[in-house]
Amino acid sequence: MCHRREARGRCALVIALVALACGCTRRESGEARKGGGSPPQVPAGELRSAESFAQIGDRAERSRALFAEASRVFLHPRCVNCHPDGDTPHQGMDQSVHDPPVVRGPDDKGVVGVQCTSCHQDHNLELARVPGAPQWHLAPRVMAWVGKSPHAICEQMKDPARNGGRALAQIVEHNAHDPLVAWGWNPGHDREPAPGTQEQLGRLIAAWVESGAECPSEGARP
Amino acid sequence: MAITRRRFLEYSGGLALAFAAGRVLAVDPRNGKPKRTTSGFDPNVFVHVATDGLVTLVCARSEMGQGVRSTIPALLADELGADMARVTIVQGDADKRYGDQKTDGSTSIRNGYEPLRKAGATARTMLVAAAARRWKVSPASCVARDHAVFHGKRSLGFGELAAEAAKLPVPPPEEVKLRPRSEMRHVFKDLPLIDGPAIVAGKATFGADVRLPGMLVAVIARPPVVGGRVSRYDAKRALAIPGVKRVVEIPTPKPPYAFQPWGGVAVLADNTWAALRGRAALEIEWDEGPNAEYDSDRYRITLSESVHAPGSLARNTGDVDAALSKAARVIEAEYHVPHLAHVTMEPPAAIARVEGGKCEVWAPTQYPQEARTQAATTTGLSENDVQVHVTFLGGAFGRKAKSDFVAEAAFLAREAGRPVRIQWAREDDVRHDYYNAVNTQLLTAGLDERGKVVAWRLRTAFPPISSTFKPTNQPSADDLQQGITDRPLAVPNVRAETCRADAHVRIGWLRSVYNIFHAFSVNSFIDEIAHARGEDPRAVQLEILGPDRIVTLAELGVDKLSNYGDSLEKHPIDTGRWRRVIERATEMARWDKRRADGRVLGLAAHRSFLTYVAVVVSVVRNGAGRIAVDEAWLATDAGTVVNLERARAQMEGAVIFGMSHTFHGGATMKRGVTEQSSFADYRLVRIGEAPRRIHVDIATSDGPPGGIGEPGVPPVAPAIANAVFVLTGQRIRELPLTLRLVT
Amino acid sequence: MIKLKVNGAVRELDVDPEMPLLWALRDVLGLTGTKYGCGQAQCGACSVHLDGEVVRSCVTPMRRAAGREVTTIEGLSVDGNHPLQRAWCELAVPQCGFCQAGQIMTAAALLASNPKPSNTDIERSLAGNLCRCGTYLRIRAAVKKAAGIPEE
Repeated sequence: MCHRREARGRCALVIALVALACGCTRRESGEARKGGGSPPQVPAGELRSAESFAQIGDRAERSRALFAEASRVFLHPRCVNCHPDGDTPHQGMDQSVHDPPVVRGPDDKGVVGVQCTSCHQDHNLELARVPGAPQWHLAPRVMAWVGKSPHAICEQMKDPARNGGRALAQIVEHNAHDPLVAWGWNPGHDREPAPGTQEQLGRLIAAWVESGAECPSEGARP
Repeated sequence: MAITRRRFLEYSGGLALAFAAGRVLAVDPRNGKPKRTTSGFDPNVFVHVATDGLVTLVCARSEMGQGVRSTIPALLADELGADMARVTIVQGDADKRYGDQKTDGSTSIRNGYEPLRKAGATARTMLVAAAARRWKVSPASCVARDHAVFHGKRSLGFGELAAEAAKLPVPPPEEVKLRPRSEMRHVFKDLPLIDGPAIVAGKATFGADVRLPGMLVAVIARPPVVGGRVSRYDAKRALAIPGVKRVVEIPTPKPPYAFQPWGGVAVLADNTWAALRGRAALEIEWDEGPNAEYDSDRYRITLSESVHAPGSLARNTGDVDAALSKAARVIEAEYHVPHLAHVTMEPPAAIARVEGGKCEVWAPTQYPQEARTQAATTTGLSENDVQVHVTFLGGAFGRKAKSDFVAEAAFLAREAGRPVRIQWAREDDVRHDYYNAVNTQLLTAGLDERGKVVAWRLRTAFPPISSTFKPTNQPSADDLQQGITDRPLAVPNVRAETCRADAHVRIGWLRSVYNIFHAFSVNSFIDEIAHARGEDPRAVQLEILGPDRIVTLAELGVDKLSNYGDSLEKHPIDTGRWRRVIERATEMARWDKRRADGRVLGLAAHRSFLTYVAVVVSVVRNGAGRIAVDEAWLATDAGTVVNLERARAQMEGAVIFGMSHTFHGGATMKRGVTEQSSFADYRLVRIGEAPRRIHVDIATSDGPPGGIGEPGVPPVAPAIANAVFVLTGQRIRELPLTLRLVT
Repeated sequence: MIKLKVNGAVRELDVDPEMPLLWALRDVLGLTGTKYGCGQAQCGACSVHLDGEVVRSCVTPMRRAAGREVTTIEGLSVDGNHPLQRAWCELAVPQCGFCQAGQIMTAAALLASNPKPSNTDIERSLAGNLCRCGTYLRIRAAVKKAAGIPEE
């Protein structure tokens, strides 16, 4: 079995594949579990509550599982569309290129004539169908999430050099209360919201921090 | 050239009356309104010379970007000898005395050229006669130029002569001589853009810009499906919105729909925002009506089936069936173009005021007189009590020839007892357009052993425009002369058939109309034949066009050709002119060097509205991996061109216009409802997609003028499709190309 | 009541704070140079400056403009003398003209922050301004002319 840290990621992948092959539910890393496993899956539009992860006895494993659950929000198109790797935001559940064509600009706020706030207001517009929230802008490139794994997002979110200089407590605050983040659950028109609620995300992240802010392994998926 | 009195009157309608009546249409320069005057000189409805020398020239065609206001007055002024610095231009209201005011079909100059020159020349003749009388010299020894009449060194200004000229009898047109072209000082070259300064300062008045005291703004919730009607509605929430004053149901139109208002429920408010909010708060149940199952995907199959069976004969020479059966090789292809929406930048809007037994309308209308008739019918007033003022049009392309939106304004103004502006929202414009007809065609060619085309059969199916006006599904001969019956083919056996296509939406006409899809199919098909033979598409284009000649009806295999309302004697189908634009465009594009240069080019050419156009485009893959047109060359022969600058602008614009339906497509329907509703899903080319360069070459000619506004459009889509084939190896036979393109 | 400056003049308007600036300009103040093209921030015909920045007035609520300065096409210059307006006339840019106020306002903001824009800069900044008549090539040329950039 795999004991060494470096091999764990690869092992997790192998185990996951094996588990898939025999139709078993995926599981976090090869470590023996103490106490209960992950809480049962919920429908796509919902989030598992932070409390329900308490049944995972091992602190580190619980921590990883909490972040993996939170990543279902981060990787949802409503969030990831404004965390692009390149210079243009995405739009829609199919993550197509934003139309009208816009670019990031020097401050992640667009360029003259087509700044984000040239069109986007501080709230959703129903008749005009333009989504809006306070301070509408792109996440900086270091916070690109498109095509990233939960592991990579976790590492970025913990890293003050890449998370806007935030301490973990501020990360909790940002996720739980930031009004632009809040938009993900109130996207307006007939856009599909991110799963769960912002309050639930806040508690997941708080619980994640409290349990040591461990990152899921590279191959782990929620 | 000689002009008969009758031909002159065809354009200018009741001009004879105006000649007799003399002074009715003088204009008050303070407000541009017609007034009776006893001072000044009004030889006809287009020209007024005031005693202070101010010359007023009337532009009685609608300005929609094609530059009529920069061109018609300049033509009048040059013929007259007026100085444009002392000219004021007035937009003519709807008035039969102006003759035909229908601004469409690319007719403003080609139909107006001779009558307008005659009108200017008549004024000149009379001013010269007045001066000659005063000086007691012969008129032939006098010259009119620079706003005066000269005899040697002495001169009399037009203003000084106005009163005397007004007393002279108006000569009949056949006695009035036009200037030789060499004496026309400004036209036939670039002319200044008259309205540029007003437009760039935000001072040009468009439909929605007119404001009247007490005016209400109306926004209408219209039946989503053509032929649908209001079943029941609840206006309670709408009326609770601050600013909303009334909610009015519009009567359901009975087919054929023509220009009747579309039905639905109108919200009237004291500002546009309240009206839009009010409409959103309406609760309406619709009775969807007979077209609720219209599905454009399924209809595509219906059209395909239609063209795979014989149709009604449209043209016939030789024996196509026999020739096809003996052909060494048969090539067949099916083409499809969806419904296209006009999506003018200015959505339809019009203002009406009905009071004291009179109706006054301000509208961006291409058809002022028909708008007047429509308003009269809607309000129950006599046409004499209806006045229609024509504003600037923020784009038209055929949409604003339909006066349904004027009828809505008139109806609501009468209902409300206050002036009303009807404002179409963009969603309304995209969803409830008079779409260009959807079309499918089947082209079949038989080639002999040497690859020469010996048989050509074309079947076309499209719901015709006349379906909007009467129950029919058969195109008229006028419809077919847009690329079917007028297309020269040096092929011994040719047959064209029209196949059945029922209309499920209101069909209208959109900038070059049926030419869009007939040029797309024919030019794509010729290109396919060329590639099948491993030959240069230009060579095959010229081979199928045949030798230089004037094409006869016998060669076309038809009994008659309406030829865009003009005679074949005056505007023949001249394959020499067709060949030369192909050669000019390909020469400009360095066609022969394209492979050596590593450039991918596509070619198409078409004659429409009496003008010949060839287009070559260069396509590349852009940074994002998408196909882009990076350069375009357009060569045209339009006969005499009065305003080279606007003609060039129209051709440049036609390339962009054509690119939109080529890359971004048209309108589709599901369950009877148009799926698109905004620029998010009815996309248009944006500045980043425009080519780096568009080169326009306009042949020098003193032949009669051909059309300018539309002919640039039809060759664009097939030129691009042909280039895309070379770039990708994919032959796309429908628009938008991007639907089927495998990237 | 919403108080703001429009083209240099202080105005106080009794309007719904959610009313888009476009309708306050057109319906209440009678400044009809700014156009309605879509109401959904897709076409740019409604572009004005809010404290010098381009906004689509069709979606900008009046409360966002409160206490701030709005500049419309009517206020871009005295007598139409802005270099862009001059270049637009010299190159005969407009056809129907409906989109041009929005194009000019957007281009004016571009030149104010980037006096020598490249073709790419122009295309990026004007990407939100549609022109159905297809005057894009002349728009690009006129922006460069106004910026004093020589023709290629």
